Amino acid sequence: MTNTVTDLTPITALGGTVARTEVCGALTISENTGLGLASLSLRAGQDTPAPFGLALPDVAKAVSMGNYAAFWTGRGQWMIEATGKAEMDFAAMLKAEVPECSVTEQTDGFTAFEIASSQGAGPIEALMNKLVNIDAKTFGPGQATRTGLEHMTVFLIRRAEDRLAVIGMRTLAGSLWHALAVAARRLED
Amino acid sequence: MLIPHPLLGLRDSQEFTYLGDANLMFRPDAAAENAEAAFCDYVFQRDNPAGVHRELWFHEQGDRSWLVVTRDTTTHEILGAELASNVKLGAAE
Repeated sequence: MTNTVTDLTPITALGGTVARTEVCGALTISENTGLGLASLSLRAGQDTPAPFGLALPDVAKAVSMGNYAAFWTGRGQWMIEATGKAEMDFAAMLKAEVPECSVTEQTDGFTAFEIASSQGAGPIEALMNKLVNIDAKTFGPGQATRTGLEHMTVFLIRRAEDRLAVIGMRTLAGSLWHALAVAARRLED
Repeated sequence: MLIPHPLLGLRDSQEFTYLGDANLMFRPDAAAENAEAAFCDYVFQRDNPAGVHRELWFHEQGDRSWLVVTRDTTTHEILGAELASNVKLGAAE
C-alpha cells in the first residue's frame, strides 16, 4: 500500500487515535470526542427560539432532549450540544434551525470531558469542592455555569446527580485532563 | 472576596477582571463644542475617593457580562452590583 497525502490519521484533542478514559476510584473520566458544539446568540429584540425543539434554558441552567442539549452561557446566549455530531457541520445545522439568530461553530474551540460516578453524587461533589469555587451542593442536575478551574475557563454542566461534564478550551485539553485526573486520583487516598 | 452577581449570585472575585471608574461608560459627545476639554477630563481625570466607589468589573470567567460594582475602597466591602447594560439603559432614559 502506498501512502498518499490523504492518508492522514485523525487525532483527538488529547492527541490519541481513540478517546481517552481513566478510572479513578469511583470516578470515570472520559474524553467525549463526538460532541458537536455551536453557540447561539439573540440579536436585539429577538424572541427566544426553540432549535431542535429545545426549550432554551434560563440563567445558569441546562436542558437536554434526545441527542441535543443546551446550556445558558450569558444573557441571550446559549451553547447547543449535539451528541455524535462533532464531525459534521453542526453550526450549519443549527443555523438552518434559527436563521435569524447569530450562530458560531464551537466544536473546534472546545473539548468535553465527561465525569461519571459509580457511587452517586458524593464523589462528584468532592471533586468539585477540590477544583472550583462553586457550591457543589446547590449545583444540582440541570445546572450549568462557566467558571475558572486552575486558571483555565471551563463550562460545568451537571448532567445528573452522578454525572458532570467539563468543557474547556481545546488547546488546553492536556492541562485540563491532568487537573481533573490528578484531583480524582487523590480523592481515592 | 465574593461579588454578588445580579444573575448568578455570589461569585469568586478571581473570575472577574477590573477596569476602573464606572463613569468610563459615559463617553463625551465628540461633536460637542467643548469636546476637546471633555475628552481631556474623560481620559485623564479620575476621582480617587477614600470610601464608596462605583467601578466596572468584567465577568471574564463567567457569563462575560460587565458589572457596575459599588465598593468601599477603605474596607473593600462590596455594597452592591448591577449589570452595566442596565445602568447604561437606565441613564439613557
